[in-house]
Amino acid sequence: MIGLVNIRLMEKKDIDGVMEQLLRLKHLNEEFDPLLKVSIGNEKEISEKLGRIIDDRENHIGLVAEDGKRLVGMIMSDVIFRIYYDPKYEARIREFYVIPEYRGKGVGMKLLEKLRELASERNIKMITAEFPSLNLLASKFYESIDFKELIKIYSKIN
Amino acid sequence: MIMKDSERTEYFDRNAIEISKKYKGKILTLPKVPITGLEDFSSLYTPGIAAVSKKIEADKELAYELTGKWNSVAILTDGTRVLGIGNVGPEAAIPVMEGKALLFNYLGGVNAIPMPLVVKNNDEFIATAKAIQPYFGGYNLEDIQSPRCFFLLESLQKSMEIPVWHDDQLGTASIILAGAINALKLVNKKKEDAKIVFNGAGAANIAAIYLFEAAGFRKENIIAIDSKGIIEPERADIDALMFKNPWKYKIALETNGERVQGEPANAFKGADLVVSASISIPGTIKNEWVESMNRDAIIFALANPLPEIWPGEAKNSGAKIVATGRGDFPNQINNSMVFPGVFRGVLDARSKGVNFQIMVAASQAIADFVENPTEDHIVPSMEDFDLFPRVASVVARKCVESGLARKSDSTEGFYRTASDIITKNRNIYNKLFDM
Repeated sequence: MIGLVNIRLMEKKDIDGVMEQLLRLKHLNEEFDPLLKVSIGNEKEISEKLGRIIDDRENHIGLVAEDGKRLVGMIMSDVIFRIYYDPKYEARIREFYVIPEYRGKGVGMKLLEKLRELASERNIKMITAEFPSLNLLASKFYESIDFKELIKIYSKIN
Repeated sequence: MIMKDSERTEYFDRNAIEISKKYKGKILTLPKVPITGLEDFSSLYTPGIAAVSKKIEADKELAYELTGKWNSVAILTDGTRVLGIGNVGPEAAIPVMEGKALLFNYLGGVNAIPMPLVVKNNDEFIATAKAIQPYFGGYNLEDIQSPRCFFLLESLQKSMEIPVWHDDQLGTASIILAGAINALKLVNKKKEDAKIVFNGAGAANIAAIYLFEAAGFRKENIIAIDSKGIIEPERADIDALMFKNPWKYKIALETNGERVQGEPANAFKGADLVVSASISIPGTIKNEWVESMNRDAIIFALANPLPEIWPGEAKNSGAKIVATGRGDFPNQINNSMVFPGVFRGVLDARSKGVNFQIMVAASQAIADFVENPTEDHIVPSMEDFDLFPRVASVVARKCVESGLARKSDSTEGFYRTASDIITKNRNIYNKLFDM
């Protein structure tokens, strides 16, 4: 039932599918902290924002994983200029999702690998990833591939 | 019928309180060695007993030979999900654990000790369970909320050198499987082809799904349903399950090959067997759903005290075989048919653990115990006293074959041992109460 998974750059035609996965991801984040409560009814804005991100290949790298015509995962990163530090550029993963049936089958690794490859072609030598502190499965995943914790974000609602 | 039932319930409630007031506890520690006078204590206790301690110090396994460890089971609970009454705390769990200890002893000849624990979290539970281990040949986890019960069972099974059992999961799953084996045999359906719906995704049904898989049923043919509908990987709440209940998450991914979605009715269509452990309100399973099942449909409506559909209704809607959790209808699916024999077996083999393969063997033995199953008789009853040593012998032998046993014997040998222990225990009981 699960076929060969292909990784390619995110395109405008993917917007609906990507948005669906993003919302699933955000609803999962909601489980970790009430400060990550998902707002309702923003599909139009999200769709426009995704459109802009996909067009802006200078500052974003977005990839999707597909099995035939089915979107089974995606990764989105922002390219960040590190004015004070070396190396000078990093690709920061802000969104990363694989649908449940395709987990544990190397799809996430393939997405990450392709991101690393594209980044390195552009001389971006550092990959970072952000996710909710309580997402212990994400920490475990990144630690298993030698990422380490770098920055913490604390929050309080005024 | 509902009226009659509520009257009966009130009677049992009153009686239980009266008995508890009168006896102030249901179990008692009695000596099993003769005491003729205080001088006997020089051997039963100090100074002589130090020699026994030294032997065990040199070889810990001798605790099985020289003490009561071989026949002692702790009933561990945190009181977070007691019967149908919920999170009542460890003290309020005591009467239930005492009752369970009594069943262990009466049916299986096992010395079971109630052990309600004051623990704040999973780690404390596990640390405590490990700390009190030396005297016990097995653990029975009881009345612990889900999904904590899965985590505790899995962690303790992995880390302990004695069998750890959670009756609400494993006992119930085993008797469901035993019933399913005989019911499917009666309607001439093969387990490989049977389409099975598990309505309700609590501890018992989740364990049952894993057990059915171990017994050779095909996961693709199984559909699980919870309060939100049919479980399938595209459902929006499945991601969170990965964290909250990985056991249910795995089921979401691996069952339901056809990816049926939505209302329970969609799952019932064409199903051969429905195992329901859901809401205790008749009508939860609708007549039309039963009508839409495959020919010779089998319904296990196990909610207590009231089944999800009355047996008569289910039969009128085309069900061929109906089982419930109640003793006043045919085919009572009751875990008391399982744990006394299973524990007798693992204890007699001095097993280091218990697993799904051993449970499959136990279920098969329970099914086989009913020599000529009929629509109204697919599982044994509690009066079938020979069931327990029979199950025990099959379980013990399976422990040997799985390499888990500290003590080896043939099935026949184990049967004689179990039968002997249970009979002797019952004789003591009869003498105590002049019966």
